[in-house]
Amino acid sequence: MISELRDKLLNLSDEISTSISQSNSLNDLEEIRVNSLGKKGLITSYLKNLREYDEVSKREIGALVNDLKNKINNLIIEKKDFFKTQILNEKLITEKIDVTLTPHENNTGTLHPLSRTIEELCAIFADMGFSIVEGPDIETDYYNFTALNIPLEHPARQEHDTFYLQPDENGNRKVLRTHTSPVQIRTMEKINLENFDEIRYIIPGRTYRSDHDATHSPMFHQCEGLVLGKNINMGHLKGCLIDFCRTYFNVEDLPVRFRPSYFPFTEPSAEVDIGCKKEKDGSLSIGSGEDWLEILGSGMVHPRVLEGVGIDPSKYQGFAFGMGLERLTMLKYGIPDLRPFYDSDLRWLKHYGFIPVDNPSLHSGLNGVLS
Amino acid sequence: MKFTWHWLLDHLQTDKNINEIVEVLPKLGLEVASVKNLADDLKEFVTVKVIDVKKHPNADKLNVCKVFDGNRSFNVVCGAPNVKSGMIGVFANVETYVPGIDLILKKTKIRGESSEGMLCSEKELTLSDNHEGIIELPETSEIGVPIVNVMDLADPTIEIEITPNRGDCLGVRGIARDLAAAGMGALKDLEFEEIDGDFDSIINWKIDLDEDKKNLCPKIFGRSFHNVVNVESPSWLKNRLLAVDQRPISSLVDITNYIMIDIGRPLHAYDADKIVGDSLTIKQSKQGDKFSALNGQKYDLDEGMLVISDGHGIDDLAGIMGGERTGVKEDTTKMFLEAAIFDPISIANTGRRLNLNSDARYRFERGLDYDSPDLVMHYAASLVKKICGGTCSKIVKLELGKQKKIINFTPTSTYKLTGVEIESELSKSILEKLGFKITNNNDVWDVIVPSWRPDIDGIADIVEEIIRINGYDHIPSIKLPRKNYIAKPAMNIKQRQSSIASRTLATRGYSEAITFSFLNEVMAKQFNGGIEQLALVNPISSELTHMRPSILPTLLLAAQKNINVGSDSLSLFEVGPIFLGDKPDEQTSSVTGLRLGNKIKRDWRSSSRDFDFYDIKLDVLKTLEALGINISSLQTYEDTPSYFHPGRSAVLKIGQKLIANLGEIHPEILDFYGFEKSILGFEIFYENIPIPKKIKVSRPMLKVSPLQSVTREFAFVINETTPAEKLAQIARSSNKDLIKDVLIFDVYKGKNIPDGKKSIAIKVTIQPLTETLTDDDLEKISADLINLIGTKLSGSLRSQ
Repeated sequence: MISELRDKLLNLSDEISTSISQSNSLNDLEEIRVNSLGKKGLITSYLKNLREYDEVSKREIGALVNDLKNKINNLIIEKKDFFKTQILNEKLITEKIDVTLTPHENNTGTLHPLSRTIEELCAIFADMGFSIVEGPDIETDYYNFTALNIPLEHPARQEHDTFYLQPDENGNRKVLRTHTSPVQIRTMEKINLENFDEIRYIIPGRTYRSDHDATHSPMFHQCEGLVLGKNINMGHLKGCLIDFCRTYFNVEDLPVRFRPSYFPFTEPSAEVDIGCKKEKDGSLSIGSGEDWLEILGSGMVHPRVLEGVGIDPSKYQGFAFGMGLERLTMLKYGIPDLRPFYDSDLRWLKHYGFIPVDNPSLHSGLNGVLS
Repeated sequence: MKFTWHWLLDHLQTDKNINEIVEVLPKLGLEVASVKNLADDLKEFVTVKVIDVKKHPNADKLNVCKVFDGNRSFNVVCGAPNVKSGMIGVFANVETYVPGIDLILKKTKIRGESSEGMLCSEKELTLSDNHEGIIELPETSEIGVPIVNVMDLADPTIEIEITPNRGDCLGVRGIARDLAAAGMGALKDLEFEEIDGDFDSIINWKIDLDEDKKNLCPKIFGRSFHNVVNVESPSWLKNRLLAVDQRPISSLVDITNYIMIDIGRPLHAYDADKIVGDSLTIKQSKQGDKFSALNGQKYDLDEGMLVISDGHGIDDLAGIMGGERTGVKEDTTKMFLEAAIFDPISIANTGRRLNLNSDARYRFERGLDYDSPDLVMHYAASLVKKICGGTCSKIVKLELGKQKKIINFTPTSTYKLTGVEIESELSKSILEKLGFKITNNNDVWDVIVPSWRPDIDGIADIVEEIIRINGYDHIPSIKLPRKNYIAKPAMNIKQRQSSIASRTLATRGYSEAITFSFLNEVMAKQFNGGIEQLALVNPISSELTHMRPSILPTLLLAAQKNINVGSDSLSLFEVGPIFLGDKPDEQTSSVTGLRLGNKIKRDWRSSSRDFDFYDIKLDVLKTLEALGINISSLQTYEDTPSYFHPGRSAVLKIGQKLIANLGEIHPEILDFYGFEKSILGFEIFYENIPIPKKIKVSRPMLKVSPLQSVTREFAFVINETTPAEKLAQIARSSNKDLIKDVLIFDVYKGKNIPDGKKSIAIKVTIQPLTETLTDDDLEKISADLINLIGTKLSGSLRSQ
């Protein structure tokens, strides 16, 4: 009797297996499941009938039926997965898009190349222990000239092409600063000599001269530097500025030349040139060749300037330097013309500007990635 | 300052060549602007004879010429009006580089006639700007030889930039002296015959200056010359002057100009016969005095200008320019020569006030050699005698005594100031070669400054002289010592904020612009500026007259320029100064931006949408958030400045501090600029953002609830004029502990809503903190919220 039952079960197994393998849809499969494993299903009915057998047969038949139940269950799950994959694949095909279409633009803006240069300068000088200070664009005659050892009649004044504003109530003539140097004076005035050891400042900012042609703009930018201490000499000036030039232009052995010059507020004074080569197409290669290119002015702070702000030049000395930022930017990034810096032409800003997420730093490198 | 190589060799004994000298000049602080060696540049140009001139068959203004170089003849098509058969000219063969037109000549056909070269003008050879005709050489000139042999071109010219402190190098001799000190040769003695003169000058000096003004003319010398013949100068003199861009006039004038370039000493020559009376008076002008200068101009003088006058009146502006009436002419036979020292400041002031420049003024302003009048009286006399003949008088002089300038100099100062270690002996030798005298050789030297170096007045100046001649290459390069091993931040918080704001905006699509700090008065006034204090006295153009009160107008100009070149959508920002007054604390920095055009461009999946108020509001809020502002601490007001659209703009403040203005630019302003579409703008005054006294670096602990949040939606009908945000705030305040967020998701006016009312729909997120909320709890939270809206805004739930 048991063997008869076993045969029945085997037949049933074959029958259900076949119908599973021949099923065509999830619905067919569900029907098979209900008919075989459901509450009133064929296999389930065998389990219900177990009561009729003795304990030994019960155990034996129970095991057989359970095996069959598990087998069928697994087959159904397997087939179900097959159908699901098939359905998904069909769906994926219908979901296909044309990947060659261009998405609409989500413009990222750019930072102005001058801002980039200022940040690069700040990164270099910060590493040398400098802090950034700023000062007003509208200056008095005193700060812009007199305190810098440029008295009213000085020939150097004529070279400044100064913009004037109305005198104030005390008759002090206001000017648009012609250089960032007046901030040197403002900075030194604030020094508390009681416990003064050393200062290192850079001063970037807007400057103005009444000159407008292909190579001059009535507004331009300079960066001033000031180092003042007890043991700062012209050798430090040289070391500091050589380091700066080589780091900024990213040329390790960049030739840097110091040449005597004259600025009323420094003595001795030096003009700084870097080595370059003028290519046939008119462009410049920085760092090689026979030519020299002037890029900044510098010198030891004039004793008279120090005395003017109450600092004893026999106790403190230091150096100052100044450079034109447009020029530095043009040289490094190959920008041929000064005038578009202030034209705000988007085509120019996008072409010469920089992506905002590339923050210049010494550890990531100072050569800006073009936008 | 321009001079020729041979002129330099008159003063410098040297075995160096011109290239070696030119190499050294910049190292001495004498920047070389140009070296022009025409002998090199023009060596391929030869003399030719024009043997035939025919009219060009196809061109009225051209001739077809045959030129002969003694060997063969060439066809040349020439357009010069002065070309004629038999003349001797300058020829450039094909393949010659012609510097004046920057071109290499090619064999060519001009309107059908072949041309194998060029007959040249002075301009083509860079001899002058003259290109009216071709060069015509004397008929006796040899043909077929390089023009360098025929024309006097063998002397190269050198032009150097002289810094304002080096008046002594505005003469060739000063340059030679520097070169000699630098070991480039020896300074020759100035050779001239010393003539004492055997009669008294017919003109004398008188001083009419107040005692306290006597220093305006501390020294003035003069002497008369009789029976001079003011002929044309000899060619050596004319060539020298031409080479340095001085126009030869007549020998007496040329001699004064020659001496000015030679030793940097301006002179003035009067026609003694035209001087009224027997004296010249140095005095200060009175308001209203008139002066007719040599340049043909008339000047109205101010009070106090230094002048020289005779019995008739003022006829010399001291140190700047002589007068028309008493100047020497070709027929002059009696000359009175003046050499003076005038106060540089007085000269500079006068020159500037009259806007009158001259070579003399340029030199006087920079300070002259105090001893030069003594020497030049003899130097000039010997040249006048040689060239113009005649006799000269004794010298008449007025002179205030002047102390020699002595500087106490400690030789160790050089090392202290520059780090250059230099032997005392070498320092001394350098100074002596430059003309300094050292009288005391102990630890502190007494250094007497030479009379030609008025710029030297302290220890630092002497140090500079020593290291300059010794060479800046000998200054050691010393690293700045590192005080802190790791450098401190270089930026202060405001500078960092400006950088963060820039980056935030650029990431959101804005491009950074830098625009001028000045604009025109109309625009300044539109943006509530344009005050008198901020007007430039000497603007460069009528468009750049006032300091800007806001960055918006200059950005609008930038937008306009972009639209003019075809842009239809743009977003620009700038971080920069704005000016409310002319005091330092009335300048502040602002981050300002504007957008116009499409926020979304029309493409294959979307239709376009323009920027609106809320886009720019989001930009501002995101920027402020990046600057560390808690957005909920901002209060919104509607009293924006007049340049915004009154109904579509807002002001954000923290307490009393103005943080930002934002909104649509006023249509009237847009109309003025010629914009057709609306523009959204904002200005963030980041300097007003309050900075906490102590900035906390560590964050408060993050508290997150493990319980799921619940949302409830409500629609209220409230008064149309009530700001929507007010409703959200009140909703939030109805249960501060549990209501985490209130989002407005619909604003509706119209059908089913009474006039004067609007419907606002909100989604409220309720976050249980300690235990899951029951339906009763949620009912109560909702009821509280509805009640509060009812009491505070008379709002009621919208009926379904």
